[in-house]
Amino acid sequence: MRGPDIAWYLAVAAFLFATGVLGVLLRRSPLIVLLSLEIMLNGANLALIAFSRLHGESSGQIFALAVMAVAASEVVVGLGLIVAIAQKRLDLDVDKLSFLRG
Amino acid sequence: MANVVVWAVWIVAAFSCLASGIAVVTFTNPFYSALALIGNLASLAVLYLLLSAEFVAAGQVLVYAGAVMVMFLFVTAYLGGRADAPWAGGPSWQQFGAVFAAGAILVEVIVVIGLKAGGRLSHEARIDAGFGSPHRIGRVFLTDHLLAFEITSIVLLVAAVGSVILGAHSRRPPTIGERIHEGEVRAGP
Amino acid sequence: MIVAAWICLVAPLAAALLITLLGNGISRRAAGYIATTSVLGSFAAAVVVFAKLWSEAPSDRSHASTAWEWLTAGSFHVGLRILVDPLSVFMMLVVSGVGFLIVAYSIGYMDGDNEERRYFAYMALFVFSMLLLVQAGNLVILLAGWGLVGLSSYLLIGFWHDRPEAVSAAKKAFIMNAVGDATMALAFFLLIQHNQSLNFPDAFAVGPGHGWLVNLVALGLLGGAVAKSAQIPLQTWLPDAMEGPTPVSALIHAATMVTAGVYLIVRTHSVFEQAPRVEELAAGLGAGTLLVAGLIALVQTDIKRVIAYSTMSQIGYMFLGAGLGAYGNAMFHLMTHAFFKALLFLAAGVVIHALAGEQDIGKLAGVGRLLPVTRITFLIASLALVGVPPFAGFFSKDSIIASALARGWYGDVLFATALIGTFLTGLYTWRLFLIVFTGEPSAFVREHLIGRSHASGQEGAHEDEVSGAHEHDVHEHKGEGPFWMMAPVLVLAVLSVIGGWIQFATLWDAVSNWLDGVAPPLATPSGSQEAVASVLAVVLALAGIGTAYLFYGSRKLAVPRIAWAQTLLEHKFYFDEAYDFAFYRPSVALAKALGRWIEGPIIGGSVRELVAGIRDAALGTSRLQTGLVRSYALAIAASLAVITIVFVAVR
Repeated sequence: MRGPDIAWYLAVAAFLFATGVLGVLLRRSPLIVLLSLEIMLNGANLALIAFSRLHGESSGQIFALAVMAVAASEVVVGLGLIVAIAQKRLDLDVDKLSFLRG
Repeated sequence: MANVVVWAVWIVAAFSCLASGIAVVTFTNPFYSALALIGNLASLAVLYLLLSAEFVAAGQVLVYAGAVMVMFLFVTAYLGGRADAPWAGGPSWQQFGAVFAAGAILVEVIVVIGLKAGGRLSHEARIDAGFGSPHRIGRVFLTDHLLAFEITSIVLLVAAVGSVILGAHSRRPPTIGERIHEGEVRAGP
Repeated sequence: MIVAAWICLVAPLAAALLITLLGNGISRRAAGYIATTSVLGSFAAAVVVFAKLWSEAPSDRSHASTAWEWLTAGSFHVGLRILVDPLSVFMMLVVSGVGFLIVAYSIGYMDGDNEERRYFAYMALFVFSMLLLVQAGNLVILLAGWGLVGLSSYLLIGFWHDRPEAVSAAKKAFIMNAVGDATMALAFFLLIQHNQSLNFPDAFAVGPGHGWLVNLVALGLLGGAVAKSAQIPLQTWLPDAMEGPTPVSALIHAATMVTAGVYLIVRTHSVFEQAPRVEELAAGLGAGTLLVAGLIALVQTDIKRVIAYSTMSQIGYMFLGAGLGAYGNAMFHLMTHAFFKALLFLAAGVVIHALAGEQDIGKLAGVGRLLPVTRITFLIASLALVGVPPFAGFFSKDSIIASALARGWYGDVLFATALIGTFLTGLYTWRLFLIVFTGEPSAFVREHLIGRSHASGQEGAHEDEVSGAHEHDVHEHKGEGPFWMMAPVLVLAVLSVIGGWIQFATLWDAVSNWLDGVAPPLATPSGSQEAVASVLAVVLALAGIGTAYLFYGSRKLAVPRIAWAQTLLEHKFYFDEAYDFAFYRPSVALAKALGRWIEGPIIGGSVRELVAGIRDAALGTSRLQTGLVRSYALAIAASLAVITIVFVAVR
């Protein structure tokens, strides 16, 4: 069962990561920024699992699982923040949340 | 024959993965973005299966595409239309810089893969049938990586407590940041 | 016995801390009781120590005790060490005994003042400081007590801090004392360097053959003593210190502070004895001060200032005695002086208290008829001050004068000066007494005292008027003053009469014998010299009294007016003006010049430029803080791209 080389997987991972970066840098809705972050994390996860397969080593998958747990935590906190912002009747727009401007 | 099937599955999964990723970033409505991310995660799970990572693929579907995204959708629905912010904007150098930085990262990764590691990436290690199974992952997780396991659980606990505190209604007076935002006081000199 | 000595030392400090810590938790009256009780406890402990010491053989009467040591370097030890010997016990008795009477008097005098608690805390602190000074067992503790005395005098002289004169008087006292403190500290440093020991009496044991060292040390010590005891040339703070409440003046003049200089000379006599020129200088300064102070006292019109100058003059006698080596006589005079000077001040305080804080003797004239008890006590104190037998001053002062006779031609000059001083003492004392306590009451007195007793129905209205004039005069007059004021006055009156009887030189020498072990006298006048001195002094004192009577009592003679002398005396021999010209103006000019030419352009300018530069840099940097999350993320992504290139290039 020979599919594509690991390099192809890594290329997909790189594309996913770049897509996520674009989303984070361009979008102003905090929800979509969070979603884009997820895409970046998944790109990294894909690379981790591809390398795990390349070396026949389970540790890469363990790493990916840990990344998933961290991603879940990050989503929980990020959504908590978004809900809190919405409860204060502030705009859901990352450009308007600029109280720390110098 | 088997090779062709694998390739076909890979192509379908990879393209749906990339397409749904782009869809997440481009949709105006966060609700649709979240739905697209579910598709993204599912197609990634197929890729994981092709890489013999069965346990991770199952976790991806159950926990990620299932539980986490349900939470996402719930919050999006709770916020309703208020979650729609303008698509982009801000200073023009921000958009230019965004595209440039993302492109640079992509090109760099591709170049590095092609130039430096091209040859070695085609020789995959031999693996047995148990690779990536829950049995193997569980054994490794609870022996070699026990500390990481515990730390991960603590991170999850802290995140849960933190989100409860963030979401709780408080009766405190507005902070200075909120007052600045409301226009009560002026920020900066 | 050592325990009692520690109790004596610590009790007033404990009271001061207690009053401070309890704050508004106790009534004002309770603060007074706490302070009085603590000082009484000190006195009781001092009596116990005295009794124990008395029962020991004269050669064993020296005990040191160290509470703890806070610095040990090889053989060099510094600790909280007290020394109990006849000299310190003598001073402890005087300080705590007279201090107790004065603090008790304050309960009546300060009644109704808004800040009585602060006052009593300061008083207790003052007594503690003085006890620390006299009980000190090493140079550091002595210096600490010395400085604390200066501090508490500053606090008390400036007690009425809403009066600008009081504040400036307090500052003046503090600065004048700081000059003396500095010279004294330098002398101590020299001693420590030379002897490698801080403890009494080793610290003062300078072997022969160190002429310049001994002279420098003695000069430094003399500077400290002169400043604390208000002798020429550092005397100008004392009259200004009359701005404090009257009991404070009494405490400074009678029991504490000004006697510290005399104590210091006696304590360090072994240094002075090796520097005979400095010792003669001390005696000369004392003689000069007693003369100058006596002259200035003749023209003062403020009742407390007259008494203040008499203090300077009497301390001059003590310096004279200590400088001549008659240590026992100087300490004896210190004790009797504490009695009658405290009495003078407290009696004057009764008058001032009764007359709403008025201190001008012109306005107080003739008050004696209305305050008969005060008149009697003031008379006793005056007689004791002038040295009329059998009152206390006679025994002590005449011994000092007599000891001058035993010291060659220089002694003869001092002898003559001291005799002129007794004449002046009689003159100015009786001028004060005759003006204030005899004759017809002045209009001012009538208004305040007679008007009150006649118009009993309008008592309330008068009270309001009086209390408006002075804040601490809010109480009802019963008799001449409240119990707490009159009782100490009467006790002191008795002491002023009998206090001198414990020594009648050459017949029985209780005080001199007691102190012999610590400070053996250099010169002991013979019986005939004592007799000559006594007779001459008494005759001259009586002559002074008689002259005063002719001028101010019977008014047979008009008071002579010599314009230039009057001006000279009223300006106190121009000491203030000279210091103003010599020190104050040049410093002000220098400070102004520095401020204009150095501080403004150089220091201030550079700081301003620095500030401007930093502000510009900060404003530039703050532009980077856009507050936009996305631009921060862009910075991260761009950095990542750049770092990747760097890594690839480096590999």
